Amino acid sequence: MNRLQKSAWFNLVVVTGVFPIAALGLFLMARTNAKGIDYLIIFLVFGSLAGLGGYLLLRKKGFEAGFDEREKTIYKRAFEWATIALMLFLCCACIIPFFVLGGGNSVRVLYLPVIFLSTLWVGQFVHSAAVLIQCALEAEDEQ
Amino acid sequence: MSNNRISNQIRRLRFENGEMTQQQLADKAGVTRQTIIAIEAGKYAPSLTLAFRIARTFGVKVEDVFRYENEDA
Repeated sequence: MNRLQKSAWFNLVVVTGVFPIAALGLFLMARTNAKGIDYLIIFLVFGSLAGLGGYLLLRKKGFEAGFDEREKTIYKRAFEWATIALMLFLCCACIIPFFVLGGGNSVRVLYLPVIFLSTLWVGQFVHSAAVLIQCALEAEDEQ
Repeated sequence: MSNNRISNQIRRLRFENGEMTQQQLADKAGVTRQTIIAIEAGKYAPSLTLAFRIARTFGVKVEDVFRYENEDA
């Protein structure tokens, strides 16, 4: 397994692992029905912790720094696929409720961060999956 | 529609250079073995920089390693 595949597996595991935690956080915040400055403080605390954790992990691994040019090409192609998937998901998440509920209805504010986090998750998931698929196809060609 | 392809002599040059392994060439060129495999199989066209690095590893000119082929020509 090369560095690119390791990076993709790492991202896949981290993103898949982080998503339920983020969903739980949102659920708890929605239950407490905090507003304004309360939300901001919670976001700042969790955001700082996530940023610090991410920095420590990435500084130690230094994944993308070691990619060669072919791996960067695979990475960029996967990024294109992820962008398309992300846009499709975002489009569906915003347009489908409009058709289902109608223009005169309203949506709970809670769904806005849910849509945001889900979009990020879809993008990262498709990116990692696309990298792994391309590497697997190349490995198949080698045999 | 034109069908352009870059052929290469890497396999032959490796054997002419003391049966150099793909891993050894990859280490000298500063890429992964998978990249050398992909280039050798004609599945990936390297950048100009990498092409020069590979040629320099063998001590030959770039055009001795890579050849541009246009099937329409």
